[in-house]
Amino acid sequence: MLLRKLGFSVAAAALSMSVTTAQAKVEGDTIILGSAISLTGKYSTNGIHTQNGYELAAKLINDGGGVTVDGKKYKIKIEYYDDESTPARGAQLAERLIQQDGVEYMLGPYSSGLTKAIAPVTEKYGVPMVEAEGASRSLFTQGYRYLFAVLSTSEQYLASAIDLAAEQAKSTGKDPAELKVALAFENDPFSQDVRAGVMEDAAKHGMQIVIDENLPRDLSDMTPTLIKVKALKPDLLIISGHSKGAATAARQIGEMAIEVPMIALTHCDAAKVTEKFPEASEGFLCATQWSPTLTYSDDLFGSAADFEKLFKETYEGYDAGVPYQSAQAAAAVMVFADAFERANSFDKDKVRDALSATDMMTFYGGIKFAEAGNNIAKPMVLWQIQDNQYQVVAPPKWASHKLVWPRQAAGN
Amino acid sequence: MIATNTNERLLQIAVLAFGLIAPFLFPAYIQQIALLWIMILFALTWDTMGGQMGYNSLGNIFFFGAGMYICAVVQIIVGGYDVGEYTAAFGAIKVDITDTQYFTGLFIGLAAAAVGCVFLSIILGFFFFGLRGPYFAIGTLGIALAAGELIGAWRWVGGGSGISLPLYPGSDIFPGSADEEGLFFYFLCMASAVATFLFFRWLYKTRFGLALNAIRDDEEKAEGMGIHTMRYKTVAWACSSFFLGISGGLHGNIVHFIEPLEVAFPTITFGIFMVAMSLLGGKGTLWGPILGAVLFHVIKEVTWTHLLGWQWVALGLIIIVNVVYFQQGIVGWLMERFPERFGIRVETDATAQGKGGAD
Repeated sequence: MLLRKLGFSVAAAALSMSVTTAQAKVEGDTIILGSAISLTGKYSTNGIHTQNGYELAAKLINDGGGVTVDGKKYKIKIEYYDDESTPARGAQLAERLIQQDGVEYMLGPYSSGLTKAIAPVTEKYGVPMVEAEGASRSLFTQGYRYLFAVLSTSEQYLASAIDLAAEQAKSTGKDPAELKVALAFENDPFSQDVRAGVMEDAAKHGMQIVIDENLPRDLSDMTPTLIKVKALKPDLLIISGHSKGAATAARQIGEMAIEVPMIALTHCDAAKVTEKFPEASEGFLCATQWSPTLTYSDDLFGSAADFEKLFKETYEGYDAGVPYQSAQAAAAVMVFADAFERANSFDKDKVRDALSATDMMTFYGGIKFAEAGNNIAKPMVLWQIQDNQYQVVAPPKWASHKLVWPRQAAGN
Repeated sequence: MIATNTNERLLQIAVLAFGLIAPFLFPAYIQQIALLWIMILFALTWDTMGGQMGYNSLGNIFFFGAGMYICAVVQIIVGGYDVGEYTAAFGAIKVDITDTQYFTGLFIGLAAAAVGCVFLSIILGFFFFGLRGPYFAIGTLGIALAAGELIGAWRWVGGGSGISLPLYPGSDIFPGSADEEGLFFYFLCMASAVATFLFFRWLYKTRFGLALNAIRDDEEKAEGMGIHTMRYKTVAWACSSFFLGISGGLHGNIVHFIEPLEVAFPTITFGIFMVAMSLLGGKGTLWGPILGAVLFHVIKEVTWTHLLGWQWVALGLIIIVNVVYFQQGIVGWLMERFPERFGIRVETDATAQGKGGAD
């Protein structure tokens, strides 16, 4: 008897899991977009930057009347779950958003790893996903039809730093092949992809890789690598490890007074290095998808600078600058809004086809998708931190300032 | 020990019926219920070590991750790719395999995962069964943590970049279903959990099961009585890891993207959950771990949806209450309270009680 009761309670508990089944993707006058995002865990800083970008764009679109589909105005609402920065959880939540919450349009998560886990799920259900934070090149070789990315792929992140170092060497009469390069990359899908791009470019110039370190995730100490840097005196030091890695690098480069003439990183702005480590971070080269100084503009946000201004007014804690993660997240929502209007329908496949035909200019840059879903209309740019300000120094077409070389030694 | 009585038979039928009907009744929850079967498998296999044999392993998740990687590598090889090329961060090759290659790869992969994990457990057992109590627990924890880091540094299997597994091809196993892949893996998860249950249910009834209990109760005495404890312990761990390896291979394919630290060797989530589930339900019993897994999983999914931000606090609270006030777990408590319902004869005669123990 007792065990039978137990059996029933098991069944009852399972039943209670299914209180509500799929609601609609469009409720009344609201279009529901879904996203699993890292609100806790090691990607939470950037997860929140991303969420803020999504929210600001949705708010602005809604304030402007919303999205017009078939003569009717619709508002945009985004449903979030916390993926805790782990791919397995992200995949489960994508299933939940699509299967249980009935979401038919997805915004991407933060990081390449999470996007790699979620893309097969959205693909399985034919749910279009516009993502803004998964840059790994391998996302765009799987033949996904429903995946669209507004950002440039990761092998482009620091490639221009290598070119810049080679040019600098030539201008001082040195052969780029003599340059010694030190690499320190976090052991995660994104940074390993950046590393692959850097390795390829360094090989092109015949540069010597003197240090090639894999750093642990959630990086809080890179002293051993920096000790090697001190001993081997490379001409170029390249570091990638999301926000935490950039903050750790800036702090310890300052503390250990590392004097490498050129240091390039990813995620400087997301880690707020100019604010936290103003002296140590002087002269850093920083890869960025976007810069508020660029001359892009659109009708919703105005210019890149207008976006930055509005973002700073809306959210606290961004006085030192708005990270590109937020800008591209906002652009992803704009891409969706544009696609709904052009599709003039809520049919998933029509929206998908409209997305694939996207060709628009935004404050974030041009957006036009290749067959594989990656954005081919926007370049990566390289900042240098000069007098505590982010200034574009490469590629030449977008450069507003000249490179300062060698960088001013930390702490002096 | 639970005797086969009508109650248990009914319970088995109820669970089996639920498992068979649920994916069609709640198609939106297929993945969560599939994960529940994996959780049940986790709890059952952990309990063999921690509950029946008294060896609290914190590293059983190692076999889950090892199985996941073995299965993935086999799938890639059967798919006709070079593993190093397939996983290279920059190579990013376009994956194109036939349906036959996919299914052959998957099933050979799962078999290899199971067998491979048995080998690994025998090797590890040789080194680790010299340790007792907390030393064994920490030692095994070390295996799982080290494995994550080592795989992360091993570029042949993709290192920290992980591996994107081949995608499920279209098939006609479940015609008319919206989520064929979900159903396919659901039934594989269910089958492996049911097989785990039946296997251990049988095992605990044999002399082998009694020997495991003897090791738990007093290992020296068991050895003194002529039980080759090392052999028994190794075989028990090998049985656990056989099923864990399969669950790893399945889970990797459900997630599609595997990487060492968070997906393959999630020590602080799944690794701890398997212990917590067994303790919650009642370790050392057959149904306890299953009940614990069901409750734990349902609570986890509900708090993750409705108490976002507090989910870890809720889980922590359950574990604390369980460990501090309720150590015998739910089934353990029920057995104490109502022993006769579990087929345990309470007799006043002390000599009669000692009879079943030593054989």
